Amino acid sequence: MSRGDYSLSTFIWLIIAFLVIYPLSFLLVESFKIVETGGFGIGNFIEFFHDTYYLKTFANTLWLSTLVLLTSTLFGIPLAYILARYRQVGKTVFTALILLPIVLPAYAGVFAFIIFFGKFGTLNLLLMEAGIISTPINFIYGLHGLVFVQALHMLPFIVLSLAAGFTQIDPAFEEAAEVEGASGFRRFITITLPLCTPTYLAGAVIVFLWPFTDWLTPLILGQVDYLPSIAYINIAYHFTDMHRKYMGIVAVVVSSVVCISLFLLARWWVERKKYTGLSKGTTSEGRVIEPGILLKTASYLYMGLTAFIVLLIPIVLGLSAFSRRWVFSPFPTYWTLDNFRVILAESPLLIQNSFVFSAVALVFGIVFGLPAAYIIVRTRVRGKDALDFVITLMLAFPGMAVGVSYLLAFWNTIPLATHWMIMPLALFARRLPYFLRMAHSSYLQLDVSLEEASEVSGAGKLRTFFYISLPLLIKGVLVGVVMFFIMAFQEISTAIFLYRGGWETLPIGIFLNWHRGMEFGIAAAMAFLMIVITFILLLIISRIGGSILKAAWGPGSR
Amino acid sequence: MAFIEIKNLFKRFKKVVAVNRIHIDIAQGEMLTLLGPSGCGKTTTLRCIAGLERPEDGDIVIDGKSMVAEDFVQPSKRGIGMVFQNYAVWPHMKVVNNIIYGLKFQGFSKKEIRSKAEQVLDLVDLSGLEERYPGQLSGGQQQRVALARALVRNPKVLLLDEPLSNLDAKLREKMRFEIKSLVKRMGITSVYVTHDQAEAMVISDRIVVMESGNVVQIGNPEQIYQNPANRFVADFIGAMNFISGEIVRVLPDSGNVQVRTECSGNMLCQTPDMAATTSGKQVYASIRPEDVQILSNPPQETENLFKGTIAHRAYLGNFMFFFVNINGTMIRVQVPHHLPHEEGDEVYLFLNPQKCMILF
Repeated sequence: MSRGDYSLSTFIWLIIAFLVIYPLSFLLVESFKIVETGGFGIGNFIEFFHDTYYLKTFANTLWLSTLVLLTSTLFGIPLAYILARYRQVGKTVFTALILLPIVLPAYAGVFAFIIFFGKFGTLNLLLMEAGIISTPINFIYGLHGLVFVQALHMLPFIVLSLAAGFTQIDPAFEEAAEVEGASGFRRFITITLPLCTPTYLAGAVIVFLWPFTDWLTPLILGQVDYLPSIAYINIAYHFTDMHRKYMGIVAVVVSSVVCISLFLLARWWVERKKYTGLSKGTTSEGRVIEPGILLKTASYLYMGLTAFIVLLIPIVLGLSAFSRRWVFSPFPTYWTLDNFRVILAESPLLIQNSFVFSAVALVFGIVFGLPAAYIIVRTRVRGKDALDFVITLMLAFPGMAVGVSYLLAFWNTIPLATHWMIMPLALFARRLPYFLRMAHSSYLQLDVSLEEASEVSGAGKLRTFFYISLPLLIKGVLVGVVMFFIMAFQEISTAIFLYRGGWETLPIGIFLNWHRGMEFGIAAAMAFLMIVITFILLLIISRIGGSILKAAWGPGSR
Repeated sequence: MAFIEIKNLFKRFKKVVAVNRIHIDIAQGEMLTLLGPSGCGKTTTLRCIAGLERPEDGDIVIDGKSMVAEDFVQPSKRGIGMVFQNYAVWPHMKVVNNIIYGLKFQGFSKKEIRSKAEQVLDLVDLSGLEERYPGQLSGGQQQRVALARALVRNPKVLLLDEPLSNLDAKLREKMRFEIKSLVKRMGITSVYVTHDQAEAMVISDRIVVMESGNVVQIGNPEQIYQNPANRFVADFIGAMNFISGEIVRVLPDSGNVQVRTECSGNMLCQTPDMAATTSGKQVYASIRPEDVQILSNPPQETENLFKGTIAHRAYLGNFMFFFVNINGTMIRVQVPHHLPHEEGDEVYLFLNPQKCMILF
């Protein structure tokens, strides 16, 4: 343990203190502020939990979370099983398509589904033209639509975590059950599924927390009685009504507390009950089976349907982006590039901002993430576990909490919010764990003796890092870089609270254009542009090595 | 009539033939070991008996009932008990629930299940640990849970897939005897897979030596050690010196063969198979290290006596090893007592003709 490690660790802690601990504690303190008297107390919270309306939103959110988790689990179990266990052609393509929603921004999905499933959307119009129905069916507006959109967005987390369980559990566990007289469904229920619970839970908690984070989807679907949506409305629209603003802050804090507690609870449980590493099988490829013709057809149909729904997002947005006045007809009738012309003519700044902010955030991410990964993996500096803990915790914090806390903390006391630098800083703080996880897991795979050999040969720690560690880590680091960039590029929950005129990013542009109502085509075109940029970045990742992504985000390593 | 008949069993994975049309008969109550290096097909054979693999051809008959050829019988319907290499004790169930798992599907009453569980727990010496989770047990205890689970339903056949390979050396030696006496006491027909020849010698009534999907030799431990069928078996079971040479003369009366060896002239050997022994054939004159005598001065005998130099010596407490160089061929010698020879010393080796045999 050298002095250098200590100063590095101090440097990282200072950044964490300034960008994470300070603003979030500021938010917490602020939530106890009584507007009328200027003093502090638990009055806000008492009022929140006595107000039938806020209680209702809280209950609504819990109910929505439950429904989203149930739905995604119900549809996810067969998908995960098919992907993990069945031998079939086109598996990679289907896997990629089913996992796609993980990298597509949630709001892109909502727009696409409104156009396709809306009251006078493509599906309703087609059904009416065919004479199957006479009045449009409400597919999407309401709780059921909300559950559908959110469950689809979170489906990859369920599929990934369950599939990891299905492939990682020792095949002998299932074989032993077979020998003991339990085959087929009974074996699946008594052995396979219970053994997958830890990996499942790691993904399930992320899914469950999503309705506590996602304020935009309910808003677009006309449902505001949910915790994050009401918090957004209270803070963003009613900033003149101090009372409502503070109730909004309380809502953000309540959401955050729910998220953090459930996240920690799940983590603790998963750590305690990790079955996958318990015994290593002799046949490590898992159990890949050749399904019968009937099962095979059914599984293809099922995967095809899921993939189709996912593909609707880019296709519908693409159609919408290249057309105008697409209303009351199942498909666009008037093709044009106008939308893109408007974007390029009126708001090239948005695209520029998005790139600049994300890139600056990325530089922060690398400068911070690499040393942090080094400290956590390679040193025994005191407090490194706490460091890991704090950074991982950022995964669970709603983006809104970061945005609001920055707005409060960097306003009067440290007036950073008036400078555009606040945008990349906030993006960095919000997406912090994404880069670190990558660096972290690649570091874990790097044999320490390779570095020790360099030090024995006379190279110092810094030289060893640049000549030995970094070249060996570079793949993982690059994937982390691109992943971080995608996530920062799409970020809206934090940025929406912090942007000022001239700092709008592409996601904010999408939101504003939707909000104005008339410019749906432009919003769709922007969303389409984002998807295209995401696809290009994904292509880069897959060229570098998609397996690294899996290693870092598989539930096993969490 | 054998209790288990493996007939013409054939299994391949993609292009690789894992089990190549083998025949094995196993008697009721017998403890049979499949022995061989990794990839020889022993585990695949065992998994075929269990029903965990589906053979492409051939049949397995257990207690007169065909398992493969007529209608494939699922593992859950075969009435077997199996101990897996990594135990496969389900980590999400308590010890007792692991053990009674299979009983629950057989329509026993709660009371019967409990008494059976108690009996078997007592048998494997795990009483008092029923409420523990596998994660709270040592490797040896988990191994006993696996054994108890396999035995509790009183299976017709017990299959053991390298059950001791994950234990440490001391415990492994102890468990060999425990498993053997337990299985013998219950009289269960069992098939045991291992790559450890010492384990196979201790535990088995008969050993089946396998190599690349084929059965090379079947016999009891004495037969396998003293009359190995070929060079592979001799090399795999114990240690053996091989001196390549050519048969120059066959003496049918005495059963002896004269072999011209590469290192030092003629050697007198036994032959296990007179019919296959013909002049001019390339063979290996073979002798176990413990059958070689090491002498400081040349004795009266002249047959099979060679002069060499000690290349290496090693003292292992209960015995000594020497590697003696005879014109470029290294002969390994094992003696049960201390000898004062040093590296570089000139010695005479007497390769007793009664103990020398030719292998093909």
